[in-house]
Amino acid sequence: MSGPLLQIDGLRKNFGSRQILDIEHLALYSGESNVVTGDNGCGKTTLLRIIAGLENAEVASYRFQGRPLSLENFPPRLRQEIIYVHQHPYLFKTTVAANIGYGLKARDLRKTERDRLVNEAMEWAGVAHLIHVPPQKLSGGEKQRVALARAKVLNPKLFLLDEPTANLDAEARRQAIELIQQMCLDDNCVLIACHDYELINLPRMRRMILSDCRLLLQPTTTIKRQVV
Amino acid sequence: MDLLQSTREAFSLLFTGNPELWRIIFISLRVSLIAMLVVTPFAVATGFFLATVPFPGRRPLVILIQGLLSSPTVVVGLLLYLLLSRAGPFGSWHLLFTQEAMIIGQVIIAFPVMVAFTLSAVQGADPRAHETALSLGAGTTRAALTTLLEVRFGVMASVFNAFGRVFSEIGCSLMVGGNILGLTRNIPTAIALETSKGEFAQGIALGIVLMSAALGVNYALAFLQGEGGLK
Repeated sequence: MSGPLLQIDGLRKNFGSRQILDIEHLALYSGESNVVTGDNGCGKTTLLRIIAGLENAEVASYRFQGRPLSLENFPPRLRQEIIYVHQHPYLFKTTVAANIGYGLKARDLRKTERDRLVNEAMEWAGVAHLIHVPPQKLSGGEKQRVALARAKVLNPKLFLLDEPTANLDAEARRQAIELIQQMCLDDNCVLIACHDYELINLPRMRRMILSDCRLLLQPTTTIKRQVV
Repeated sequence: MDLLQSTREAFSLLFTGNPELWRIIFISLRVSLIAMLVVTPFAVATGFFLATVPFPGRRPLVILIQGLLSSPTVVVGLLLYLLLSRAGPFGSWHLLFTQEAMIIGQVIIAFPVMVAFTLSAVQGADPRAHETALSLGAGTTRAALTTLLEVRFGVMASVFNAFGRVFSEIGCSLMVGGNILGLTRNIPTAIALETSKGEFAQGIALGIVLMSAALGVNYALAFLQGEGGLK
C-alpha cells in the first residue's frame, strides 16, 4: 500500500483556554472514505478547517503526499488539491454555472474546456435545470448540490464535507447522499463530518469519532441510531 | 429679481448652449471624475486591507479615517494651498490654481469617505465568501476581488458618497483652484460667485445642472449595483 495522502501528527488546537483538539495521529489515504462523528461543538468542523488550511493550529507535522508543509504558509497549490465544503455552502451572487466554474477559472482553464466541465458537473449534480435561477433563490438542497458539483468539477485529491446533509429535507438529503456516495466510489479521498447515520453506514466507510479532543477509530459494524 | 424670472432665464441659458456655462460644467465633471478614477482603486484596496488584515495600530487608524469623514473641505484646501504655494515644499511643481491641484484636493477629500464605506461593506460581508474563494483555489487577489464583488452594493455606496462629496464641495476648489474662468471655475465656485454678484439666473442654472449631473452620474453607477442589494 502506498503512503498516506495526508498525514498529520501532534495536532493541538485551543480557543482561549479551552482545548478543542488533541490528536496524536491522523492519516488519510487515496480511494478511502472517512467519516468523523462526535457531539456538537466537539471540534469536527475545526478539524476539517485546519486540514483545509483555513484555520491555524499547533501541528508537529503536516504532510501531503509525503511532503512536509506549514499550516501558517498554506501553499496555494495545495488549495487546488483539498476542497472544503461548508455546512451551509456559500454561493457567489453570480450564476449557478459561474459558481461551479469558479475554481476552474482560478486555474486559468480555457473557456471552452471550462464550459464543458461545468455542463458535465451540472448534469452530474442534477442542477442543469437551475441554470437561469439566481443562486440566492435556490433551496438548501439545491445549494448543497451546486456546492458539491463546484467541488467535484475540480477533481481534487481530498474532499472535506462539513455536515453535508444537515438541515435538508428527506428528498434533498437523499439526493445529496447519492452524490456523496458517488464521490466516495471514485479514487479520491473523502472526509465527512456528520451525524447522519445513512452516511456513516455507507459501505467501506472508515469511521472515526471525536471525543474529549481525541480522534478514535470505530469498529466497522453498522452503527445504529441511538435512542435516548 | 424674482425667483420665477431667474429660473426662466436659467433654463434659457442652459438650452441656448451658453458656452461659458457649459465650460464650467465640463470643468466640474472633468475634475471630479478624474479624482474618482484616481482615488477609487487605492481607497477600495485600503478599505479591504483595513477590514481583513490585523496589524498593530489598526484600530487608531480606523478611528482616524472615520474622523476624517467630517474634515472641512476648506481645511483640506488650506493645507494643500500651503503645500503647493510657491514657498511650500511642492511649490516648484507650479500646481496652485490649476485643475490638477483641484483633482489632488478632491482625491484627499474622497479618500477617507471611500475607505470608511468600503471597510464597513467588507466587514459586513459573509466570511464564507472569502473562505469559499480561497478553498476553490483562488489566489489572494482573486479572493479579495470576489469578496468585493459580493459586497458591490456597499462598495458602490462608497463611490456615490465620495462622488457626492467632491462634486459639490466648494472650499478646497476655491482655495487651490482660484475660481479662474475657463480654467478652474467649477459649478460650486461659480454659483457662489454669481450669487454674490446678484446674477441669480446663472446661479440657478448651475444649481440645476449640479443636481442633474449628480443624479445622472449616480443613476449610471447604480446600474453596477444590480438589483439594488435586494435580499
